[in-house]
Amino acid sequence: MPTMAQPSLALKCEHVVKRYGDLVAVNDVSLEIAVGEIFGLVGPNGAGKTTLIEMIESLRTPDGGSIRVLGLDPRTQSVELRERIGVQLQATSIQPNLKVKEALSLFASLYRKPLPHPEELLETLSLADKANSRFRKLSGGQKQRVATALALVNDPEILFFDEIATGLDPQARRAMWDLLREFHGRGKTVFLTTHYMEEAEALCDRVAVIDHGRIIALDTPANLVRNLKAGTKVLFRVTNRAVASAEFAKLPAVTRVEPKDDVFVLYTSDGNATLQELIRYADRQGLSLDGIRTETPNLDDVFLALTGREMRE
Amino acid sequence: MRGLTKLAWSEFRLTLRDPMTTFWSLAFPALWFLLMVVVIGMPIPGFDYHGQGFASLVFPASISLVILSTSFIGVPIALTAYREAGVLRRLRVTPVRVTTLVAAYSLSQLAFTVVGVAVVTVLAMGFFEVRILGSVLAFVGVLVCAMVMFLALGSAIGSVARTTRTANIIIWSAFTPMLMLSELFMPLSLLPEWLQPIAKALPLTPVNTLLRDIVFGVPLHDPWRFGVLGAWAVVSLVLTVRFFRWE
Repeated sequence: MPTMAQPSLALKCEHVVKRYGDLVAVNDVSLEIAVGEIFGLVGPNGAGKTTLIEMIESLRTPDGGSIRVLGLDPRTQSVELRERIGVQLQATSIQPNLKVKEALSLFASLYRKPLPHPEELLETLSLADKANSRFRKLSGGQKQRVATALALVNDPEILFFDEIATGLDPQARRAMWDLLREFHGRGKTVFLTTHYMEEAEALCDRVAVIDHGRIIALDTPANLVRNLKAGTKVLFRVTNRAVASAEFAKLPAVTRVEPKDDVFVLYTSDGNATLQELIRYADRQGLSLDGIRTETPNLDDVFLALTGREMRE
Repeated sequence: MRGLTKLAWSEFRLTLRDPMTTFWSLAFPALWFLLMVVVIGMPIPGFDYHGQGFASLVFPASISLVILSTSFIGVPIALTAYREAGVLRRLRVTPVRVTTLVAAYSLSQLAFTVVGVAVVTVLAMGFFEVRILGSVLAFVGVLVCAMVMFLALGSAIGSVARTTRTANIIIWSAFTPMLMLSELFMPLSLLPEWLQPIAKALPLTPVNTLLRDIVFGVPLHDPWRFGVLGAWAVVSLVLTVRFFRWE
């Protein structure tokens, strides 16, 4: 029996599995996403992000487990589901010779309840001057924005966004973030994948970290960082003489000292205390310190701590 | 069938924007007609002209070429190109149904066929005194049957071939034999005995010969030719359903 539609849940995955031969691309994934959330799936390339999101979008069939999107089963109710979601695929194209405004009106015509004025999306996405350009003549970033406009023509309840940063310059990326926040501000749900941790941190209410098809952490970005207990790093160089790193280990709150090339990295549980005493210590010992800075941990450190690997190799 | 007219209209305009397909479906059959009638000019021996001119033989052959271009060539090229570019994949995440997509594309190709047929017909009837002596209704009926069959065959090629490259290989390796063996300009009687049954089983042969009989006003004979049309249509549909992939 199909599960009852829970109005507060946008998405529910239970023990979802997908195999390709011997490779388990998605391994026993369970997730719940509330209506109105911006949810991020982060992980390196090949972690299973796209496979998972495409099963949710009804493009792929899971080998096991169950998925409900807005209470609908993507396997059996895909047409109804596609009416109500917006999808931005990772690699996407439309008819190459179609003009941008034609594409909008064509895609709008495929939905039961399209936006009354889909062409207004061109304004929102700064594509107004490209309305009469053919899709194939656009730059990568412009194509990406057209794809986003097409994903919004049916005013979807959930927007799925695979690899949101792909092909966008920093400015366009900011604009895309603003657009997602505006969409989210209207009570809508966003499910995005990215392999940029700072993006997940900036946008998402909650983040799932996926690696080798498994979800290895799931929480708000702030909690993920807090639970890491990785503390702050203090970095600096000593420019006037050689110093043994052991000297800094005695400073307050320092848990570990790591010389990295000519830079000393102090791991500390209290950045302020360490920093103040470091300055006094350097004064007393006549050390010249250069380029002092502190680093608070971010999701990149979370990934490193969870997997022992850097996100981007 | 929501989106059908919009999709069909948009496909029609897109095809117009592609000079190669426009050439093959609209200009090539007309040029073929002119090449045969004006440049070659003399009746090819071995055909029964039923008292009509050479142009009356070339006319149905040129119509056959229109259908061949819009359906047999046009459909698989478009299908594989859309698949390779991810267009089909993008359409798949909308609520559009496969039947709507197929119907829209067929309508667009049908429109091109109508225009192509009109060009050849105006040329033949207006300038070379060709007349359809049989039933015009039967002529249109055969055209529609041929269109359906070649649309199905085109879809089958576009489904079996995953890429435009492969589709091109299949199309052009089948195109030449059909050009040579479907009585477009060479009578079957000139072929070696063993080749004749093969030629008769080719999909273009019944189309061309049925149209020609109607132009010459010859009463219907060899009804098995409809069987050949039907068989190709059925095989094609089975192949399409079996091998169609979105990506």
